[in-house]
Amino acid sequence: MIFQDTIKLAPQGKGAADITEPVSEIIRDSKITTGICQLFVHNSFSSLLIYDTADEETKSQTVDFLAQLAPSSDGVTNAIDKSMEAIPEKMYAAVTQTSVSFPVKRGKPVLGIWQGIYLWERTSQPEERNLTITIIGE
Amino acid sequence: MLNQQKLRFSTTGRGTYNITTQISEAIEKSGIRSGICHIFIQQTSASLILCENADRTVREDLDTFMAKLVKDGDSMYKHKDEGPDDMPAHIRTVLTQSSFSIPIHKGRCDLGIWQGIFLWEHRTSSHKRNLALTIMGE
Repeated sequence: MIFQDTIKLAPQGKGAADITEPVSEIIRDSKITTGICQLFVHNSFSSLLIYDTADEETKSQTVDFLAQLAPSSDGVTNAIDKSMEAIPEKMYAAVTQTSVSFPVKRGKPVLGIWQGIYLWERTSQPEERNLTITIIGE
Repeated sequence: MLNQQKLRFSTTGRGTYNITTQISEAIEKSGIRSGICHIFIQQTSASLILCENADRTVREDLDTFMAKLVKDGDSMYKHKDEGPDDMPAHIRTVLTQSSFSIPIHKGRCDLGIWQGIFLWEHRTSSHKRNLALTIMGE
């Protein structure tokens, strides 16, 4: 069985937002109880991360690290001009993930206790983000 | 046909561990001859890579590269509850893979001759790592 849907996420500020809950709801509604779920984000200004849920600092520190790898034009992560920040933002897309997949068991995502699914938004002019969710299983 | 299995590995500190044999055994156990095997690690301080399996210095060099890129004990990191390798382990995970899938052909992992599946432990101490396998096919 294959289930496919689009998830529209409201514009958010820079940073990593936990999307585990809305994704879990869609999996539950899909009626697929065993299989795999794939998420795909339709732009290169945000990435998907399977990440640590325990400590907020781990997320901000990772973002700081990546910002240092590919600094924005003004050397910090808060560049205003979208065209100027486009290049480093796309470099992030290359070193992080545009899609993630994880197992589904008993109608739920099989994640570790400290794992969550995050959308990492990088632009200073946030837009609505579209994700395609594909669940394959039975 | 769909098969799900859990695998548990004990690591003895930072480095890469070849888990191709254990993955191949799990595929054999599933009875699936043709399809895909999805591998997911349930922690965020170790990751998965597909890498060359012939010369172990390749993997040693990968670790040297990563240690240079993400420095242990870097003063920019605030999250160090579990030591100087704590935050770098999370960043190393984001830069590599928490999951991937490989084809199954004639009941075996359809890998290149010089490819192997490796668990990359990013913490310097021993850990237990949980993998969730989803094997789909016929």
